[in-house]
Amino acid sequence: MKRLQKIFEWLDQRLKIGAAVREAMYHRVPRSSGSWFYVFGSSAFLLLLLQVVTGILLALVYVPSASQAWNSLQVLNHDITLGWYLRAVHGWGSNFMVALVLIHMMQVFLFGAYKYPREFNWVTGVFLLLFTLGMAFTGQVLRFDQDAYWGLGIGASITGRVPLIGAPLVHLLLGGPIIASDTLSRFFDLHVFIIPALLLGLVGIHLLMVLKLGINEWPMPGRLVRRETYLKEYEDLVQRDGVPFVPDAIWKDMVFGAMILGSVLVCAAVFGPFGPRGVPDPTIIQAAPRPDFFFLWIFALLALLPPYMETPLILIGPIVVIALLLLVPFLSGEGEKSWRRRPVSVLTVLVVAVTLGALTRFGQEAPWSPVMNGWSGLPVPAQYLKGRSALQRQGAIVFQEKQCRNCHSLGGEGGKRGPALDSVATRLTPDELIRQVLQGGGNMPAYGHNLSPAEVTALVSFLDTLHPPGVRPARDFAEKGLPLLDTGHPAKH
Amino acid sequence: MTENVSRRAALLKLGVLLNALVAVILAIPVVGYLFSAVERKHRYTGWVSLGPLAEFPAGQTRLAKFTNPQRRPWDGKTADIPCWVRNIDTQTFQVFAINCTHLGCPVRWFPQSQLFMCPCHGGVYYADGARAAGPPPRGLFQYRYRIQKGQLMIKAGELPTLATCGAIEPIGEKS
Amino acid sequence: MTCWRRLPALLPALFLILAMAGCSSLPGRPGLGPEVQRPSDVMNFGVLYKQNCSGCHGPEGRGGPAFPLADPVYLSIVNDATLRTITAQGVPNSLMPAFARSAGGMLTDQQIDAIVEGMRKNWAKPGILAGVTPPPYSAPLGDPKRGTQVYQTFCQSCHGPGGKGGAKASSIVDGSYLGLVSDQELRTDVICGWPHLGAPDWRSDVPGHPMTAQEIADVVAYLAAQRPKFPGRPYPGQPSRRRK
Repeated sequence: MKRLQKIFEWLDQRLKIGAAVREAMYHRVPRSSGSWFYVFGSSAFLLLLLQVVTGILLALVYVPSASQAWNSLQVLNHDITLGWYLRAVHGWGSNFMVALVLIHMMQVFLFGAYKYPREFNWVTGVFLLLFTLGMAFTGQVLRFDQDAYWGLGIGASITGRVPLIGAPLVHLLLGGPIIASDTLSRFFDLHVFIIPALLLGLVGIHLLMVLKLGINEWPMPGRLVRRETYLKEYEDLVQRDGVPFVPDAIWKDMVFGAMILGSVLVCAAVFGPFGPRGVPDPTIIQAAPRPDFFFLWIFALLALLPPYMETPLILIGPIVVIALLLLVPFLSGEGEKSWRRRPVSVLTVLVVAVTLGALTRFGQEAPWSPVMNGWSGLPVPAQYLKGRSALQRQGAIVFQEKQCRNCHSLGGEGGKRGPALDSVATRLTPDELIRQVLQGGGNMPAYGHNLSPAEVTALVSFLDTLHPPGVRPARDFAEKGLPLLDTGHPAKH
Repeated sequence: MTENVSRRAALLKLGVLLNALVAVILAIPVVGYLFSAVERKHRYTGWVSLGPLAEFPAGQTRLAKFTNPQRRPWDGKTADIPCWVRNIDTQTFQVFAINCTHLGCPVRWFPQSQLFMCPCHGGVYYADGARAAGPPPRGLFQYRYRIQKGQLMIKAGELPTLATCGAIEPIGEKS
Repeated sequence: MTCWRRLPALLPALFLILAMAGCSSLPGRPGLGPEVQRPSDVMNFGVLYKQNCSGCHGPEGRGGPAFPLADPVYLSIVNDATLRTITAQGVPNSLMPAFARSAGGMLTDQQIDAIVEGMRKNWAKPGILAGVTPPPYSAPLGDPKRGTQVYQTFCQSCHGPGGKGGAKASSIVDGSYLGLVSDQELRTDVICGWPHLGAPDWRSDVPGHPMTAQEIADVVAYLAAQRPKFPGRPYPGQPSRRRK
């Protein structure tokens, strides 16, 4: 034991880091901060280290070239011992990291930890969030499958909406005229060199500030932050009711961190790696690109925005949101810390969480996306064909063959872009059906030039049968009781 | 003493100045290199063949593909770009970009309903490329074309977006 | 401090996971081959049929609005070349679209072959027509006048006088209906019937008295003759027609 100590002393005389380490380890933190609510940040850091390690390992095999990236991922998945597992750990680590950074941020916001003198902890934190999301997005690109390819197309299309300098920006983003090798290399550079360097550097600063300014004390309702008195109050608190960080506070961080890492390992083992999905060949046009989970809300937002708001909101929205986030500590740098006395803040968090949650849910459903194979792949429910005439059956074929099913559902299956048509006959009279089919409207294309009169007649005679049993189909008042369509139904002859 | 201080301050300034000078000189190649991807003088676009005219029957719209004129040897399949060719009357053609004008997803042609549909956000276009429904801000992007020795040629070379459709013209204009 | 002692307990769990990974039997391990096949590499009949055909022809080849492909009688009178042509190029003047790339569809010739093979393998019952000489799959139209007689003999009991629909079956002379089906489709319907809708094949329209090839050609001609020049016009329900 004594010999060990001697070695340490010998080393420290030359390295001179022992004092700093000791200071970091044994600095006093408020007893109240040794809480299970204060463990998210350290776990996010732990995941960052996991990502660095697994990332370096994956880079041993991955080839950042447009022609070989996908193949090298196949090799990782299938040919290299446990290559798939490392990919899975890296992928799940990324998901957990984004989630933990968000939770950490929410906790910091609700506990008022961004207030004086910790404003720059928050500001660096906002950038750490952006860099984390940047890593998640660029990582998805490196997966270089069909989704990544068309996802880059979406990115380029958004960039192309920037006024005046749109074209040069698109070329800068893609590294050339099209999505190809130079694009992938660019994102490889970002994912492997630039963002990790910024992330690690900023994490260092973030941690140093936590150390020097002290961890936020547990907020007590009514204990207000004042610039003149806070520093002394905090010092008093730490002296009066403080504990050394090691071991009194750190054990919770370690236990939680181990649980998170364990969860990543289990998720990776059970659910496996993400993709890669289809090969990135642009000539395969049977593609329906979807973003990864944490970007689904953007996908939903882009679909739900009215067209006239789209460009301004896409271009200005992010700047406004980031600016607002950065300004938070400067707008309310003093005053109440406890979330119990900050209803507006709690409400903001709730609204943001519910909005993002709802948009993500929508993004998973994607009701605005047509089901591209719906017309040929989704059978007409049997009950809608039972007892139908020859003409009505032809109408059902017209319904399928003209791709109506891609946007309209029957029996819960089909596109959700247009209304479900299971009871359309109760809403529209045959005349109105004809008008709607021919002229379109309400986000439906006009089929006037694309359907023959026979097709329209058959289609409408089929649609007119779509009403719940026992509910009469809609009819014009003036013609009530008259059979409007020569449906060929036995009962009418 | 004061003389010494001012002298040291001047030497420090000299040091800063020299480094600033070197930084500027270094910045020139760095910036030039970084911005080399920005197109100058339309070097990205050129005429490429989509194949013999016989591959595009009159009155129909068919998928065609070409190899991008500007490419790297290691681009692999990503240099193969698809597009839709509409043969109106054997003399007149329309060549549409595959990318939806909304956010660039690949539109698919459905000959049965004579519509292009986009799988991402449900943009729909008519056979002539005009916007029919959904979020797209305009009709499909069209390539310039010409017929040369029985081959259908188009002027292509860059991913069309609302900003980069230099070789591409708005719907309705004749080439 | 007790929690420090729990940590080593996690290590065996971790080793267990890694050991299992070594056994390569973890549920997360990707299956063989790429996760998503190239669409043109899909050769499985079940998948191809489900994606491309079931919308109109019904799941498992029956129960859809379009002709039931899983009818063994149909499969025994139609040859592979015809099935291939129909699938690849569609049927003109009908709602059957073309699926081959060469005709503007999305399927390769090999995939079309796989579909035709799959239909035969899964649904055909060789020998179902043993001892019977079925009428030819296709033939020129017969005489519509004689067809009237044939209709009355074989079809009228269900489809009613003049084909306008009866107690058991609907109209088959509706202009729009006839405008959407080809003559060959009418012929196939007459020969094969629609078993699951209760429409019998050519042998059993009148029990014990199968239709002859000539009779089939005549009744198809009779139906085809009722196809209007401009089917479906004017739209029924249009005021101009209603007020008459």
